[in-house]
Amino acid sequence: MELVLNEQQAMLAETAERLAAASGGPPRARALRDAGQDLDTDAWSAVIRAGWLGTVVAERHGGLGLGLFELALTLEQAGRRILMTPLAEAAAAAFALSRVGTEESALALAALLDGARLIVPATRPSAWGLGGGLRDGDTLDGVIPFVSFAPSADVFLLATDAIVCLLDRTAPGVAIEVKAQVDGARASMVRFTKAAPAAVLARGDPARSLTAALRDVLVLAAGAELLGVAAGAHGLTLDHIKLRQQFGKPIGSFQVLQHRAVDTFIDVELNRSLLFRVAAAFDAGTHHPAMISAVKARTSRAALTATRTALQMHGALGYTDAHDIGLYYKRALALAARYGGELEHTARFSELTLA
Amino acid sequence: MGWDNTTLFVDDDAADRAFRAEVRDWVAANVPSELCNRSTRIDPPALKPWHRKLFERGWIAPHWPKEYGGMGATLTQQIILFEEIARVGAPTPYPHGLNFIGPLIIEVGTPAQKQKHLPPILTGETTWCQGYSEVGAGSDLASLQASAALDGDHFVVNGHKVWTTNGHFADWMFALLRTDPDATPRHAGISMLLIDLKSPGVSVRPIQTIKGDAEFAEEFFVDVRVPRQNLLGPLNEGWRVANRLLGSERFTTGHPRNAAVLLNKAREVAELTGTRRAPGFLHKLASLEIDLLAFSAYYRHAASLHGRGKAPASMAPVIKIVGGELGQRASELLVEAAGPFGAQAEDLSIGNHAVNPAAEMFEMRRVTVGSGAVEIQRNIIAKRMLGLPTA
Repeated sequence: MELVLNEQQAMLAETAERLAAASGGPPRARALRDAGQDLDTDAWSAVIRAGWLGTVVAERHGGLGLGLFELALTLEQAGRRILMTPLAEAAAAAFALSRVGTEESALALAALLDGARLIVPATRPSAWGLGGGLRDGDTLDGVIPFVSFAPSADVFLLATDAIVCLLDRTAPGVAIEVKAQVDGARASMVRFTKAAPAAVLARGDPARSLTAALRDVLVLAAGAELLGVAAGAHGLTLDHIKLRQQFGKPIGSFQVLQHRAVDTFIDVELNRSLLFRVAAAFDAGTHHPAMISAVKARTSRAALTATRTALQMHGALGYTDAHDIGLYYKRALALAARYGGELEHTARFSELTLA
Repeated sequence: MGWDNTTLFVDDDAADRAFRAEVRDWVAANVPSELCNRSTRIDPPALKPWHRKLFERGWIAPHWPKEYGGMGATLTQQIILFEEIARVGAPTPYPHGLNFIGPLIIEVGTPAQKQKHLPPILTGETTWCQGYSEVGAGSDLASLQASAALDGDHFVVNGHKVWTTNGHFADWMFALLRTDPDATPRHAGISMLLIDLKSPGVSVRPIQTIKGDAEFAEEFFVDVRVPRQNLLGPLNEGWRVANRLLGSERFTTGHPRNAAVLLNKAREVAELTGTRRAPGFLHKLASLEIDLLAFSAYYRHAASLHGRGKAPASMAPVIKIVGGELGQRASELLVEAAGPFGAQAEDLSIGNHAVNPAAEMFEMRRVTVGSGAVEIQRNIIAKRMLGLPTA
């Protein structure tokens, strides 16, 4: 269903669709992967110029003064076209920086928004087990795994329950070990050995709540991209089954395939309503963290189901590297794994609502 | 932590909030407690006093225009009334008169039909049933055979209708009947007739459901004479008349609250039986609650578009499919939560109310079949929304 948009949102949605179509697409994502790159520099320049990094940042801090609703509008389109840029990471970092209000955070935010320095969050990738071993004092020791765009970043926004700080990528005691993901994205193990923060932004309770908010933004952002991935794969699949002929008919005329396509359609429709309602609630200050988990659990499940259905309907083509549909499946896998998938977020939802 | 799965994403503005509070207070003071949270079916006669109270308060037909005795209410107000009545576990009046034939008579009925039929629908004096299905015409409704032949100023009706909810309680039936046996396509030869079920030649037999109660009936018509003025809409255009109906009525029959109530019962029953300690239970429950949250978001989104006249053609089938299947899954979890009590025929007592898990589950079998099976709804979406070719 169409979203109920105001004039500004409608314009943003249209711009996002155009930018993602012009600067994204599976062929570019595949070429980047083959070149061992995860950041499409041309697309990224276009995103910076559009000002989307400051979507969730107040105008007085140099942002667009909008909300997660508008960020989700852009990220759904990014997901649909597999746009390989750190939009979600940078927008989340900008959101967190804008909430700190120190001189250091203001300077960092300004540099991030105008594209001078890329700041990406480094925070534990899962609620369970991973990345818990960070000790902080005057210097930091420990590991944060699965940091997206780490080699391209200038600065890490390190966020834990105990500390939020800025750390230069090239600072002494910071080491990066890159792990390629199936979709061509790269998630890195960032190791800190007596590393000195460039600026400490929060400690204690303020750090805990800022990290929680940052993680909610990252989780919802991944959900928005997953929605786009599912919708994109569904669109390609509809095109395919309307054209592909077997037994003298388009295979899309067979009821078995029609009903599976309808189930994907329904899943995407429900997730779009869910995502944008939750984003609007967050922007209105009435969100419940359980809603964010619901979005990630459901968009992860739906994107994986939709892309698997898509592969099946593409037959042998779906098993090839050359066809675009496989890239959607891999993108769904990578985004579902990021910051917790269906299992983790269903459990978190349960703890937050049912305990 | 303040999670109420029955009011997710409520869109009330200030006036709506005031209306909701007014309805809530009135319902609390006026609802007959013996009708609330019943695990067994409430037949139309037992519902009449409650119907009458709602009528006297002016809230029986929120969606009807004021000139016909309705409230001319917004869709949000209609939903609020439904929600606040359902909140206390009170029954909603049956839809066949108020939601199905009433609005059709208002739209296409003659002045005489309006005058005769609308007032007793409002007061609850007459009970209506819908005569569509036949043994050979279920999902393929256009193949129906029961006929009405014009003979002077009467139709002569012959045939058999079945799966008629409340047929054995109804005073009147609105029926789709074949008036032109040679028409092509088949649905071009169908008309809608209003039939007094006390007419000579009508016999009605109740049918016991899988749940154990007599919810529906079958009717046999042998040379039943129906006055020509009981034709609703033009002759041979009954199919088009019937199809005017789908849409906003989905907002009450397909409300997410049905699943929410079942999930809350599942949670209570799981506490009682200890099933809550099974590791998989909370995950299943959370997974269904997440689906309910998504459906609630869709439902409110659809209502806001419908209010702007911009709801897509897929809205009604999506609400039907998701609401029905989610309700079914919730009722299945309720039975699982009941553990060894899952197959018990008699009620379980929880606090001051009774739950019958198996009966709840049996009842939910109806929702994916009645008024257009979910498979037919999927066909509709495939064709109209996805543009997939016909086989």
